[in-house]
Amino acid sequence: MNNDRGNPGEKNMTSTKTSETPAHLASAASSEVIIELNKVNKWYGDFHVLKDIDLTVHKGERIVICGPSGSGKSTLIRCINHLEEHQQGDIVVDGITLDKNLKNICHIRTEVGMVFQSFNLFAHLSVMENLTLGPIWVRKMPKIQARDIAMKYLERVKIPEQADKYPGQLSGGQQQRVAIARSLCMNPKIMLFDEPTSALDPEMIKEVLDVMVELADTGMTMIVVTHEMGFAKTVADRVIFMDEGDIVEENEPNAFFNDPQHDRTKLFLSQIL
Amino acid sequence: MAIVTKQPTPPRPAPLSESSVIGWVRINLFNSWMNTGLTLASLYIVYVAVSGLGVWGFSDAVWVAKDRRECFAISVDGACWAGVVSWIDNIFYGRYPRAELWRVNLGGVLLIVWMAPLWLPRVKAKIFIGLSAVFIYPFLAGYLFTGGDKGIFMQTMVTVAMVCVAGNTLHAMIGVISGRSLPEFLIGFLRMKEASEKNQRNMLLGILSLTVIAAYILQMNWSLETVSWTKWGGMFLTLVISGIGIASALPGGIILALGRRSKLTLIRVLSISVIEMFRSLPLITVLFMATTMFPLFMPEGFVLNKLVQVIIAVCLFYACYMAETVRGGLQAIAPGQQEAAHTIGFGYWKTMGLVVMPQALRVMIPNIVGTFIQLLKDTTLVSIIGLYDILGMLRAISQDTPWRGLYREPLLFGAIVFFIVCFIMSKYSRHLEVKLSTGHKTGNE
Repeated sequence: MNNDRGNPGEKNMTSTKTSETPAHLASAASSEVIIELNKVNKWYGDFHVLKDIDLTVHKGERIVICGPSGSGKSTLIRCINHLEEHQQGDIVVDGITLDKNLKNICHIRTEVGMVFQSFNLFAHLSVMENLTLGPIWVRKMPKIQARDIAMKYLERVKIPEQADKYPGQLSGGQQQRVAIARSLCMNPKIMLFDEPTSALDPEMIKEVLDVMVELADTGMTMIVVTHEMGFAKTVADRVIFMDEGDIVEENEPNAFFNDPQHDRTKLFLSQIL
Repeated sequence: MAIVTKQPTPPRPAPLSESSVIGWVRINLFNSWMNTGLTLASLYIVYVAVSGLGVWGFSDAVWVAKDRRECFAISVDGACWAGVVSWIDNIFYGRYPRAELWRVNLGGVLLIVWMAPLWLPRVKAKIFIGLSAVFIYPFLAGYLFTGGDKGIFMQTMVTVAMVCVAGNTLHAMIGVISGRSLPEFLIGFLRMKEASEKNQRNMLLGILSLTVIAAYILQMNWSLETVSWTKWGGMFLTLVISGIGIASALPGGIILALGRRSKLTLIRVLSISVIEMFRSLPLITVLFMATTMFPLFMPEGFVLNKLVQVIIAVCLFYACYMAETVRGGLQAIAPGQQEAAHTIGFGYWKTMGLVVMPQALRVMIPNIVGTFIQLLKDTTLVSIIGLYDILGMLRAISQDTPWRGLYREPLLFGAIVFFIVCFIMSKYSRHLEVKLSTGHKTGNE
């Protein structure tokens, strides 16, 4: 699978890094707590989506959440930047408790980047404008500086030559990489990924995963909802399995994949692997 | 059996029907005896209609005559355009004093000069030019058209408008030539590029206040004879009503549409009731209500002139129509766009103003311009409540003694004028659509 035009050096670097062991990567996590969920409950109408969720994420930790559809995994990470409102329990992100205070919510959102399944690039703006919109209007950055930073991240996701195109002119994989770069331009402390590769053609999945692996290497705190078990095995510090609004099983990847404890986990793994 | 294609298939030219006009005509119009017959018959019908109209309207028409009787004397079967020609000033300006017509023309020219930079390349800060045209220009035009004594408010607004129009024009010229903005040019001109930001700003503010003072002094001695609104009429009146209507319908519609989608119950209920009330009434009813019933609700002695009442009615009515158009556009934008805007830290107003609204308006361009065209045409209803707009003037020709009974030619002339204006608007809307399209939409389920 060829994910990029040109730049063979960087690609090599990626492939060597992907082969590193999770044990080595695990050392990036520190003891500082950056996200804490305490007995979080959420309902959609009468439907109980999240049931007493407890979760602690340390700075630099990489967590993969998997589970069948409808299990509440997307809802969970959407609660972390308050795209969804939870009804009970506490969510503390970067020392700030999420409540009705809009200022806090806006502040948290600038610190938490998010990548969506359907990219959600701003269709009326060029790639460059997509990337600089946040820094200019939220971080009040001068235009030139914002462009420099945007270019830096475009190079990091390996599509600097697409800067002046519109999202509609890019392939799915390229759009998703732009979306990742757009989040990174805000210089977030945490990155959330909501099934970033589910809407992609098979041959474009790798180019997005490569970018995510590189991001993991920089020590970014990441929570990834995905069904890419290969990614989970190489990158994750912890894998969480959710079903029907519960965290059913939580373990480091080796043990999770080789020695699942819960029946539902076993069933799930046997179906997708 | 395995199939392996060794050589890629080279592209071949498309069939004749796709690539040439003659091919298209042959396949679509003359492909059978039946179709050939129909095509020829249709061509003949079009020829008869067009040539008849041509003979009546051009070759047999009378262009100069002193009354309708003379028209008949010259040509019985031709159009009597002489009536339209002799009324042309009335058709365009109503009963505006003939010596003061330059004020109307100047107003029109100023609007063009004000707006033209929006279409020029390399001009910066177009949003300010657009906003000033909508919010500042009306005061200058209002004074030009009505004249009379300026109160302190009018004096201020005229001053601001004068500074704006001068600044805009200079800014646009500099922009076209050098691609820089007016402040940048001034700083460069005064050799202050090295100076601190604070000094630069003070210098610019100084220049601005000097200009304002100069403009204020200039307009103090500038006074125009009063022209009552009752003398306004013709195309001029139509354009004033529809211009104000168009300029306020879109912002009003955006506000109402956002109100209708608001999470705050009070605002939502209010917006819905206003929108649904106006949309369920015919415009003519709203106009009658505005002119006859509205004064009853006002405190005693509070007299608004009829024109202002009509304009308010048209604005409200079309703001409500526009609100539904804009709401349709908002619904066409995937919720993911809002979520993405939230995740980079945008609050409600930034999300709406920078992400959702630009896309919604773009989707709705054909409908928005359609509403504008409808507004322009519907302003002719004001002739029913006694304002002499272009339609009122055209019908008045037939009551003028020398031209008694002349209906056809004036109304046809009016139709042509409306067609030209509306056709230009819809062509421009099509052009905008093409220009603003940014590839096919993807990533928005």
